[in-house]
Order: sequence, then C-alpha cells, then structure tokens
Amino acid sequence: MEAHNRNEPFGLKFSTFLLAALLALTAVSPSAQAPDVPSILVSRQLAAREGLTVGDEMRLATDVRGERSRTFRIAGIYEPTPDPMRLGSVPLSVRMHLPDLLALTRDAAVPAGTEHVEAINVALADPADAETFSRDFNARAPGAFARPTSRATDSATTFVVLERFHAAIAAVTVLAATVFLLALTVMLVDERRETVGVLRLIGLPVRRILLQVLVEGVLVAGLGALFGLLLALGSEGLINRFFQWRYDTALVFVRITPRVALICLAIAVPLGAVATVVASWALLRRGGLRLARR
Amino acid sequence: MSAPLAFAWRSLVRQPPRSTLGVLGVAAVGALLLDMLLLSEGLILSMRELLDRLGYDVRVTASDALPGMGAAIEGAPDAVAAIAALPAVRAVTPIRSEDAELAHRDRQVTSVLLGVGGTAPVWTILRGRDPENRRDLVINRYAAETLGVEPGATVTLRASCSHGPTAPPPVEFRVSGVAELPFDTPETASAAARLVDLEDACGAPGAGVADFLAVTSAGDAAAAAVAIGAARPDLRAFTNDQLIGRVQQTGFTYFRQISTVLATITMAFALLLITVLLTVSVNQRLGEVAALRALGFSQRRVVLDVLCESALIVGTGGVLSVPLGIALARWLDTILKRMPGIPEQMHFFVFEPQALLFHAGLLAATALLAAAYPMRIVARLPIAATLRNEVIS
Repeated sequence: MEAHNRNEPFGLKFSTFLLAALLALTAVSPSAQAPDVPSILVSRQLAAREGLTVGDEMRLATDVRGERSRTFRIAGIYEPTPDPMRLGSVPLSVRMHLPDLLALTRDAAVPAGTEHVEAINVALADPADAETFSRDFNARAPGAFARPTSRATDSATTFVVLERFHAAIAAVTVLAATVFLLALTVMLVDERRETVGVLRLIGLPVRRILLQVLVEGVLVAGLGALFGLLLALGSEGLINRFFQWRYDTALVFVRITPRVALICLAIAVPLGAVATVVASWALLRRGGLRLARR
Repeated sequence: MSAPLAFAWRSLVRQPPRSTLGVLGVAAVGALLLDMLLLSEGLILSMRELLDRLGYDVRVTASDALPGMGAAIEGAPDAVAAIAALPAVRAVTPIRSEDAELAHRDRQVTSVLLGVGGTAPVWTILRGRDPENRRDLVINRYAAETLGVEPGATVTLRASCSHGPTAPPPVEFRVSGVAELPFDTPETASAAARLVDLEDACGAPGAGVADFLAVTSAGDAAAAAVAIGAARPDLRAFTNDQLIGRVQQTGFTYFRQISTVLATITMAFALLLITVLLTVSVNQRLGEVAALRALGFSQRRVVLDVLCESALIVGTGGVLSVPLGIALARWLDTILKRMPGIPEQMHFFVFEPQALLFHAGLLAATALLAAAYPMRIVARLPIAATLRNEVIS
C-alpha cells in the first residue's frame, strides 16, 4: 500500500535522490568532522567514480555553489536496483534517512515538521484490507491519493508489453528461419535424388523412405536445437557480462530458463522434421526411374 | 554486366522452389532489419515531431529536469514578462499541470488538468471552441466519453494541487470543447483551461506558479535560449534539439539498444543463410561451372554469375521486404503503444528515407559478403579435375 501526492508518483522508501547538477559533492577528511555525523549509502557507480569507500565522510549540498551543505558518513555502498528503462544513465545516487534529507532540503522559510514527502508506504495489519483502506483514505484526505501496491501495475504492464514485443520479433525470426530451412532442405533433398531413386528401384516403399527421412529430420533438428541451446547457454554469460560492463549495471540481459529452453526445443525439432518431410514429399511423388536417371 | 545478370536469372528460374524460398527468407529478414532501423530512431523522431508541432522552440524550467518533471517556476508572471521583453523572443506561454477529479451527474474521472497562460492554445479542437471565458475548459475525447458530456455541458472539478490549500473546494466548469491535447495517453482523461482558472480551481488565485514556460523564438531558438539564460540565470532554457538530446541520453535507450542488437543478429543470420544457400547451390553445379569454363567462360565471368545470383536473391527479397517491413512495423507499433504513459501521437517506428537507404546499403553488403565464399570456390575450381570427377561419378 502506498499513498502519495498525485503530482509526484514515485514513492521512495528510504529517501533517494540523484546527484544531478543540483547536488554538489565533496569528500572531506573524517577527522575534521563531529562524531554524530549522519550516515548515508552510496551507489556503487558513484563510489567508483569519486573513489569513495565505507567510512569516508562527504559533504552534500542542494545547489552547485555548495551553500547549506551538510556532512555525511558513508555507511555502505549499494547496488542500485537495475531498471531497463534507465539503461545507459549511470545511477550516481545516495540514500539517506528521511529526516536527514528533509533537513538538507528544507527551505529556510519552512518550519521543521511541515515539509512534504512524495509518498508514504503503509504496511497494513491485514493486507486484504488494502482496497477498503484506499477508499477510506481517498474520501478523507482530498490532497493525497492512496492505492494498493498490487494495483500499481504500470511497470508490470511495461514488461508485459515488452514480452509481447519480444514474442512478436521471435515469431518473425522463426518464420524467416523456417523459410530458409525449407530452402536448404529442398536443396539437400535434391542432392540425394539419385540415392532415393535407387532405394525406390530396389523396392523400398515411399512410406518407408519417408519414415527414414522423418527420423533423419528429427535427429538433425534435435542435434541442431541442442547445439543452438548450448551456444545460447555459452553466450549467455558473455552477453550479460558485455552489456553489464557497457552500461555499468547489474541488469541481467539474457537468461536461458528451462521454460525458454523447452519452448525452443518444442519449436525447433518439429519444425526441422516437418521441413525435411515437406521438402522430400515432392521428390518421393516422382517415379523411381525418373529419380535415378542422370 | 547484363549477360551475367541474365545468366544468374536463368539459374534461379531453373530452380523455382529454392529461389522462391531464398527470396522469401531474405524478404522476412529484410523486413525485420528495416523495422529495427526504424525503431532505433523512431521514438526520438516522433518526439521531435510532436515538440515541433506545438509551435514552441524553447522550454524554460526552474531546474535541469525535463519540463514538468522538476521544480516549479515561482513568480512565473515576472519571468514571463522578462522573457517576453527579449528581442529574440516572440511569445511566452506559462504552462502548469495539476490533477483533478471531473464529475458529471453520477460519473467521474481522474484527469490531468493543464493550465495555459497566453492566447496560443496547445491543443487541437475537435468539437466546440477554445476556453475563452471564465471557468471554461476543454476535455479530451476519453474524458468526454467517460463523463458522457459534449461542449456546453457543466462539470464539477475538484483539483488536487501541489501549491495552495491542500483541499480546494469543488468548482463548476463549462465544457467549451472537446480537444486533442498534446501528450495525451490512451484511456487517460485530460482537460485544459486558462491558467487563471486553474489557479482559481486550486484555491490560490494569482499564485504565479508554472511548471515551465513554452517560448516561441523570433527565429533563432539557440539565440533565444542563450538570451533567456543571460536575462534569468536562475532559470534553464532548452531548445527542442537540446531537449531531444537530453531525452536521448536518459530515456528510450532500451529501444535503441535492442534495435542495434537485433539488427546485428538479423544481419548475421541473413549472411549465414544466404552464404549456405549459395554455397550449396554452387557445390551442386560445380560440374556445370567447370564445363562453362572449358567452353571459354572466363574466371571473372563465372565469379560474376555467382555474385549476380546473390544480388538477385537479396535484391528481390530486399524490395519485397519494404512493404512487408512497413506492415510489420505497424503491427509491432500497435503492440508497443500499449505501454503505459506513451502519448497517442507518438510512434516507436517512424519511416524516414535515411533508414531506407541504410537498409539498402546493409542488404547490398550482405549480398556481397554472402557471395564471397561461393565466388572463391568458383574462382579456384580446377577445371580438368572437376570435369574428370564428373565423368567418373
């Protein structure tokens, strides 16, 4: 359950803000600071860029001139939650306790305790009451808006749409591969025209030859699919490592799950076998003499 | 060149199933390649078109954040007056957006309420007219359908504002028109009124707050942005090009990356398969090629035959791939536009001649590279030994 101002929909549990141009950052000597320095977490990327380590003290300010700055001690370095929609932008961010953030960003004219927050996360005693709680809250607090987190599905919808998009691309790729596969099998079957002709002449029925072609097709398609899977498994780590390095993110780009592997096998093997049989069928309809003739 | 081309054409026509399948395969792969090229820049082009269409070429904000995403401009009337006085500026429009509940009889809908200062509307009227009088507003088609209202109807508006009292009282507005608002997203209600009426609805008349200022330059957007920066150093001015650059850096990266990856894989896939097709085809015709060489065909000529065969397969498939790719792009665009928050007028796949030229170039390179290995086989073919083997077998 989360409640937030309608104009600022991004709920933040443990106040986070990006170090953009508004935020000046300066590492300072630990010895020069008071002992009750508030603690913060620093993103791995920021720590690497500025050479920060746990225990370091740093000054943060909300303006580029560094006025109204405050000193913080780095309590830890965290890996930001990977977000595909922010791919390419390096998350230079810090996380701090909400009172520290409010103290840092509060305007001089705003009395302490009257600042605004963007969102409040609420854990209900009974999660099943989320809908009722939201309705009650929305009726009583017109300036804010509550909604159950199970209904906050914008990002989930994004991924469902992306999955559909990938499925559509995969379908077109499979279609193109099938056409090429048919072209190849037509050529390969044609190459074996004489052999098939001889088999027909020595008395093997069409059905028997077709069965042989089918078994051969299944074997070749099965081996091909297995090889493809091994190739995918082998390249999975390489692709992930390359893109994680390229975009400085912990995002997993490729994951070969058993379900994905099974779908690949379920498509590739029957497709390969059927392509072989379809390509052979036209050939087998011809007479043995015609096939064996040079 | 016409003789090798004619010869390659006859070679392909002689084996219709394999040639047809090869061409269809290239068409499918080419369509996918074209789509990936359109996707790589589609959102950016679409966004640029949308920004340009609004008629403003500079946006002024209070922070480095994108317009509407960061801090609001306090004292907007002063800023508008200061900027409008600059010679490089033709017009300035303050824009503010808040959330609002619109209700009509027993129906209600949550809407984005846009408050626009000045006289130039940022929407396109579909029915009715612009909001000219006090407490007039225009609503989008979705809001009109959800509320069941037409121009002339009265709706109750309860604003939820970031500035002013926490719970402003509900106020009545008259729907002056149904309009298409910029950046409208499907199945989302939106409404627009004059900025003064939005301030009224927020219970803070004369608040003088704007999310951003939309500026029309006198002709040179970059000069206007510089002049605004100099006149009001506390504000940030971005031209449309700068905004697009910022969006390019921070957003839409996923689609650019995926299009690059898929285009590369598609190219590699096409290259591999056409190479295999041509190689198998050439291997099956080694005797024929050796006979042609023995009859007096030069090495260059037989190599050209193979190259022309590749060019014909890829060229015909490439031509077919354009309409196929455009149809496929429309389908994929429909899928992707179901993503939340994507404005109706934005497209993921935008056709541009440059992409088509690049597509043709990539396919030409594929044809050339795919033919390289079979051309090598043909070029190095030992004529006598091949003919002898052919006779013995």
